Amino acid sequence: MTQSPTLSRRSATSASSLPRKSRQRGVDARAGYSFLLPWLLGFIVLTLGPMVSSLYLSFTNYNLFDPPKWIGLDNYATMFQDERFMQSVGVTVGYVVFGTPLKLAAALAVAMLLNSARMGQGFYRSAFYAPSLIGASVSIAIVWKAMFGDSGPVDQGLSFFGINLGGWVGNPTMTMPMFILLTVWQFGAPMVIFLAGLKQIPADLYEAASMDGAGPVRKFFNITWPMLSPVVFFNLLMETIHAFQIFSSAYIISNGEGGPAGSTLFYTLYLYLRGFSDFRMGYASAMAWLLLIVVGIITLIIFRTSKSWVHYSGDAK
Amino acid sequence: MINRRHFITTVAVGTASAAALAACGTGSSSSGETGSAEKPVTINYTWWGNDDRAERTRKAIALFESKNADIKVNGNFTDFAGYWQKRATEAAGGGLPDVMQWDLSYLRDYGQRNQLLDLSTVKINTDAFEKSLLPSGQIKGKTFGIPTSTNAFAVYYDPAKLASLGITEPDGSWTYKEFNEFLVSVGSKSNGALFGSTDYTGVWWMFNVWLRQNNIEAFTSEGKLGFSKDDLKKWWNLTADLRGTPAIISEERVTQLAPKSPFGSNVTATEVTWDNFMAGYLGDSGAKELKLVPVPSDDKDNLGLFLKPSMLMVASAKTKYKDAAARFIDFMVNDPEVGQIFKTSRGVPASKTQRDGTTFEGTDKVVVDYETSIAQYLKDAPEPPIVGFGTLETSFKRVASDLNYGKLDINGAADAWFKEAEDLIKQNA
Repeated sequence: MTQSPTLSRRSATSASSLPRKSRQRGVDARAGYSFLLPWLLGFIVLTLGPMVSSLYLSFTNYNLFDPPKWIGLDNYATMFQDERFMQSVGVTVGYVVFGTPLKLAAALAVAMLLNSARMGQGFYRSAFYAPSLIGASVSIAIVWKAMFGDSGPVDQGLSFFGINLGGWVGNPTMTMPMFILLTVWQFGAPMVIFLAGLKQIPADLYEAASMDGAGPVRKFFNITWPMLSPVVFFNLLMETIHAFQIFSSAYIISNGEGGPAGSTLFYTLYLYLRGFSDFRMGYASAMAWLLLIVVGIITLIIFRTSKSWVHYSGDAK
Repeated sequence: MINRRHFITTVAVGTASAAALAACGTGSSSSGETGSAEKPVTINYTWWGNDDRAERTRKAIALFESKNADIKVNGNFTDFAGYWQKRATEAAGGGLPDVMQWDLSYLRDYGQRNQLLDLSTVKINTDAFEKSLLPSGQIKGKTFGIPTSTNAFAVYYDPAKLASLGITEPDGSWTYKEFNEFLVSVGSKSNGALFGSTDYTGVWWMFNVWLRQNNIEAFTSEGKLGFSKDDLKKWWNLTADLRGTPAIISEERVTQLAPKSPFGSNVTATEVTWDNFMAGYLGDSGAKELKLVPVPSDDKDNLGLFLKPSMLMVASAKTKYKDAAARFIDFMVNDPEVGQIFKTSRGVPASKTQRDGTTFEGTDKVVVDYETSIAQYLKDAPEPPIVGFGTLETSFKRVASDLNYGKLDINGAADAWFKEAEDLIKQNA
């Protein structure tokens, strides 16, 4: 993660011969933009356009059929008096706060296990990564539902140890642990990134630490963690944003209702139900924008705090 | 080689035939584009239901295509809850399927908002229909839906299960108190192995039946709620002592079993619902025989029952193939062979032509006999209910489920539902 020397040299030379180079740069830019054009068009038509129109809709009362009626900030104001909305916020925050750190911890632990040289390591790496490849799919949610249902494998396995919880799917207090287990199990993506990060840490640092008599715990906190902190930061950011967007597994497991007793009413699921089940598209758009703003703020906070705990190898410290 | 004269002739003939084709186009524009046996048109048809209905519908479509070589039908189905979310998305994008199976609860939502075709403008034969039933598909003089069949509310039970518990079969003349006692006896005699029923106070249509029994209108003619919060509390109080006992299955179990019903899964002895669920319950439970009796009522002369169009056939207002759509709808509601395919799984056929052409045996006969037996208690079929009725039903079911989970008490549940209902009615006003 060091500055590329070629890059700085090139910018220095281009500054010395400006007129000719700038014409050249204009051609380059045009070529660049024309290569970008297909993507840019897609972005404007498929992403930016809908975003702008959803921003407009969020200030209206829109039922999908009649023309939208402008109502100003009403949608945003009524949200905070809507008990189901508050419930969906509670469910989602609980999921993000408990699910994300646990998932990252699992990913890091497995990455460290897979980092050492061992027979068949390639096989293990693929095997541990597999769940996240299929994890987002509908089929896994269905399997999960069957596993945690009445007399499913989990219920039977636990009762073998004398723990009788019954099915988790129908029990409002057990659905959240079930969803957190599902996300923790899908640690593959951050695990691969952690693994790449671990490979970057120079082995001589560990050797030197061993010479000085440092144990594994000491090595982890004084070498691995600080050296890995940019990767931890990246994973934390991505996984937090992902966690806020949980939808398909919640939709499948609760039959698209957010039950039992609203315990799986995740934010995006409620947004969807508001829009497509209750025909309150304006309200749903307002919810989408609020989510965007809140995720933006949380990202900003994580960035701000990162200065105090993320170490880049180039930094003088 | 192209010579000059040949070229001119070709162009002339080409132009003339193009003009003729165009004339054809304008001529048939009132009935939409039509197909021929060589070049059939394809219409999309969608319905909700289980595998049993899918199987029967596929047979009906095949039969239709063999009789109408100029039309192909492309079928598609989902479950009931997902069905309406899909239709909402399609309607917003202007792409509703040409022909759809429809529910009374959503007729006004889409009909009033110009999404459905006025079927009185196309050729569909309704001579064989009860005149009192057709208004269920009409809004402000326009016909948006043609009923395929009728259904009525009933209490299902499995005679074999009751016999094994030593409980005598009910005759259906019972008060709510007697019905509750029956549910309690099932729970206690089976030692909890079999529950009495699901909480029938969580069933939105049963609540509507109860309101009719008490001569309360569910909705006023202005589209406001016709009952009070106290009425709703009284209703939910009917099973207050039974919740959490073996008389009523716990909500945990109901959730675990979904999307299958507890009755279809053989964990309850009775179920209060529409009589056309017979085929589905038989398939799910594997029971040899299921019977139907009327719902409880505290007024012996007023059971609050009515025949409802169990489903309607509608067409999209934007369909390009009005004529093909009309022919398919006419076939589905009137053809006797379609009756033979569906039997009572859509309800009892509404068209007399179809009904008379269908032989009802065994459990299908149970359904037909049930509707005949309650004829003296039946009131007029309901008009299409208010906009948002389907959403009210969804929220009623959810709030009643929260009540059974103990998340809300009866007062809290009534408050929660009224708040949502009033909000919804205000939105749609």
